[in-house]
Amino acid sequence: MKTVLNLILSHQPAASVSNMLIHWNRCVPNESILIAYGGTKREFDAIQHQQKFFIDDPRLRTRDHQREFQSYTRLFQAAAEFLEKQGDQFRFVHFAEYDHLPLVPDLNERQIDRLTAEGADLLAFHVHRVDGTNNPHFLYHVADDKFMSYWSGMSRRAEADVVLSMFGSGSFWNREAFCSVSALKEPFPIYMELYLPTLAHHLGFRVRDLTEQNRFVRALASEVDPIDKAHAQGAWTLHPVKRLWDK
Amino acid sequence: MIRKFIRAVGLKIAQTIGTSIKDFLSGRSLGRALAIPWRGKIHVIGLNVAVRPMFQPQKRLTYWKQEIIFTEHPPPDFPNIRKTERPSPSEITDD
Repeated sequence: MKTVLNLILSHQPAASVSNMLIHWNRCVPNESILIAYGGTKREFDAIQHQQKFFIDDPRLRTRDHQREFQSYTRLFQAAAEFLEKQGDQFRFVHFAEYDHLPLVPDLNERQIDRLTAEGADLLAFHVHRVDGTNNPHFLYHVADDKFMSYWSGMSRRAEADVVLSMFGSGSFWNREAFCSVSALKEPFPIYMELYLPTLAHHLGFRVRDLTEQNRFVRALASEVDPIDKAHAQGAWTLHPVKRLWDK
Repeated sequence: MIRKFIRAVGLKIAQTIGTSIKDFLSGRSLGRALAIPWRGKIHVIGLNVAVRPMFQPQKRLTYWKQEIIFTEHPPPDFPNIRKTERPSPSEITDD
């Protein structure tokens, strides 16, 4: 039974996507992979993978992601529609950007075990509570009065002013949390690294950090070890690895 | 490019000669930063972790000397609640 849907976001040329899939197939079944494509329509058409969809959303195709409030909402909505069409085949969703490299052949099993052990609904990297702090994403959003009002208006929780942050390149969801978050319309532009974990939290889902894996998931390539070294040190995944698929 | 370089050098200086900032609750070091008062505000330069500023609780009733300290939120560990924890405002009684 296909349990985990591996949702991979890419904008690279079709040849690079093929190389990426060869690597991913060492870690997860090919039929569990759904490609979300943010590149050109021409390259999308050339991708030789059955499960794929094209996203034509300017909120995804940002250059300055934080200031332009990059959003994964449309992407997640399209993936949720795919899940719906597949019936009950998938119970979890693993989201990864193209440069977030899987390193272990039992990745999905590890993720399920961790989610279960934590009693969590969403596992992510660098999960922090940032309300009231100097976190730049929080300060950028809280300058708009609508931001905190929105959470206090929709939250199911007693403490409605909690704002969470996570690293956006990879996350692991149970299906209910993923679909619940996808079902809501973004009220106004909110950067996805705040929006996704905060929304999941206020809908009542449990968001947990992947603690010891955080050091393998960083913003800059200079901050992470080479692939072999990271793997030897216990990395499940590694980010960013940008040029690997160009070869 | 030059602006980025100047900023990087400025940050390096702030993180070298700045005051050591600790989490008030745990005592954990949060790094070094310059805290500079300017035009009624305090500019904190060089800190690269998410911290909450707050006035330190005090046991004596004084206004003349107060201290601003920094703390971190504990790691998020909220339970799954799939029912509303908050009562609707119409359901809150005056008792």
